[in-house]
Amino acid sequence: MLPHRSRTSVVLFLAPPLLLFGGGVLLPIVQSLFLSFFQWDGIFPMEFVGLENYRRLLFGDDIFWTAFGNQLLYLVICLVLQVGGGLLVASLLLTITKGREVFKVLYLMPAVISTPAIALLFQRIYGGDGLINTMLSAVGLDALARPWLSDVSTVLAAVSIPEGWRFLGLYTVILYAALLAVPREQEEAAALDGANAWTVFTKIRFPHIMPVFITTMIMATTYALRGFDIPFLLTNGGPGQASELVTTYMYKTAFTSGHYGYASAISVFIVVECLVAVGLILFSLRRKDA
Amino acid sequence: MKRSQFLALAAGAATVPVLAACGGSGSGGAAATGAAVEGEVEPRAISWLLSRPADGAVISIMEQIADEYAAENEGFSLELITTPDRPSYIQKYETLAAAGELPELFDTDATPFAAKLAETGQMIDVEDLLTQFGILEEFRPAALDYQRFDDGALYMIPLEFGLEVFWYNTALFEEAGVEVPTTLDEMVEVCETLRGADITPIAVGGQDAWPLERYVAYQPFRIAGPEYIQELKRGDAAFADEPGTASAEWLARLGEVEAFEPGFSSVGYADAQAAFTSGKAAIYNMGTWELPNLATEELPEEMRENIAFFTLPVTEGSVTAENEYVAPSGIGVAVNAETYDPLVRDFLEFALGRYPALYAESGLLGPTTVDPVIPENALPIYEEAIAAAEDLGEATLMPWDTQLDPTTNSRLQQELVLLVQGDVTAEEFLTTMDSTLEENAPRYFEDAEG
Repeated sequence: MLPHRSRTSVVLFLAPPLLLFGGGVLLPIVQSLFLSFFQWDGIFPMEFVGLENYRRLLFGDDIFWTAFGNQLLYLVICLVLQVGGGLLVASLLLTITKGREVFKVLYLMPAVISTPAIALLFQRIYGGDGLINTMLSAVGLDALARPWLSDVSTVLAAVSIPEGWRFLGLYTVILYAALLAVPREQEEAAALDGANAWTVFTKIRFPHIMPVFITTMIMATTYALRGFDIPFLLTNGGPGQASELVTTYMYKTAFTSGHYGYASAISVFIVVECLVAVGLILFSLRRKDA
Repeated sequence: MKRSQFLALAAGAATVPVLAACGGSGSGGAAATGAAVEGEVEPRAISWLLSRPADGAVISIMEQIADEYAAENEGFSLELITTPDRPSYIQKYETLAAAGELPELFDTDATPFAAKLAETGQMIDVEDLLTQFGILEEFRPAALDYQRFDDGALYMIPLEFGLEVFWYNTALFEEAGVEVPTTLDEMVEVCETLRGADITPIAVGGQDAWPLERYVAYQPFRIAGPEYIQELKRGDAAFADEPGTASAEWLARLGEVEAFEPGFSSVGYADAQAAFTSGKAAIYNMGTWELPNLATEELPEEMRENIAFFTLPVTEGSVTAENEYVAPSGIGVAVNAETYDPLVRDFLEFALGRYPALYAESGLLGPTTVDPVIPENALPIYEEAIAAAEDLGEATLMPWDTQLDPTTNSRLQQELVLLVQGDVTAEEFLTTMDSTLEENAPRYFEDAEG
């Protein structure tokens, strides 16, 4: 129990960030929830429609479900690249002794480049005579060359990869720091007992970094579920709805179509979706951990 | 979380436009229809939210005029807030409108959204304004018509004017052995032959969506005239009707013969133009506002001898004439009724009096009948394109992106790409579009008229 004065100071110091968080994050969510029960085009008065926006969203909107499916695939690609790739790179970094810092910086670099620059970069890479097609034709695989951002079968992966790639370094650094904290003695003892590298990883290292792994999973998942900028800049959801995400769809519904109420319903869905995803991660990984 | 914050902010401002709409004719001192306003001119800073290229003629001329006006009226300044990228601009402008935060002047097309603003008394009647200034007659009728809503009301001032024609590369046409198409059907054949000769037939900047959307309007304009889109957008006609079906089938055929460059949907405005001016593509559908890039010595030397243009081909039994096609006067300037006062009126009178002569010096076709000054480095084709404006017919093809409700419009832009790429058939395209139209159009226009 803290003495009275120090409790007051705790409250005093916690209040401003709490107020900021409440006003900047919680209040807008509540307002979105409120707005989602209305139909409003921004000009004429708001009209209360009850749950109509949600009914239409869940049962009558084919684009929304396409976008949701796309978002899940986008999530999977981002997770594989960011957390899977990050873990792999971090483990490899542990095995080298020289130049670790250089590699870390190199991997982290894309995370500090601005999004539009990355979008432009990949627009060129995917272009008709861009890097990928040029390389394919250089090795005689012309048949595989295609306009990656215009082909409905490749576009979703094409817009997911830049997002996965740019934050690979961030998760690498986090996981690398966690791996460094694994007690060397345990690993050495296991190795003496005849455990191979894979067993050491699965039985000692991975369980040890589990709390950090859960955090990175939650970060990567919620970022991917809110992913927006690169797909929006590269294809604006097209061609058709092939790279439309729930987020880009919400944005267009609000700011292109002017259906603010309906877009709020979609944004509430995104909040719920993120909460459910975090719950699922905690549930499945914690149980495994226990 | 940022977007939900944004939404909530917009929600917070929900009551503002309602109040603004109520106050428009009463307390503000400026009735929405009354371009006349009493009182002293009190110089202050005013803003103009616009969507025009930062280095373009309109901005530099208006800045010059504002400086001249400021010299006579101390304390006046005109702040230009430009967002040249049109989709971003529209989002910005519509969000500001929803929040009741539009500045004194703002750019808009004659969209259904703008019609709603006019109807709720948030814009000044420009016909009235120009009449009071005594300059209505100086404007080209086609330039004014482009800015009018369906009921003929005029709420935007045109600052530009242009003709949209098909530029083509005569050398590539010769190489493939094709002639200029006279009908839209022939255009498919021309594209097929060009493709057969390993030439990209048409360069189109699909990333901006509107360049491709022009094509969907061509068949209906020839078959049924400008009325079809007016009925269609309200849901009184269907995409599956004859003009719409003909359009979908025509576009599907253009897609089949690979008329557009591969990956066209992610090609930007400048890249499409470069594909044409560098001789990689044979045809390029673009307005005369690009004359400085297409018909002057700015053009790569090897192209200068080879550039020509043709206007929109007709169809058999076409109800519109050869000299009737897209002749837009660009995005217009609307005057915010809420902030309208003697100063805004006085500045507009000053600016519109000076503008035509200054704009003519830029060498571009202007919204008034003042002839442009042909630049010194112009190619002969430059004057030919300018002269075509004299011969323009009465019916105007209104681009569909300025006509349809926003939801139907964005779906159309998406589905068009799929149709041309062959990812959906013409029938699937029509079914999707009709169900989208049915769901959105009546609701949108009922609101607007309610």
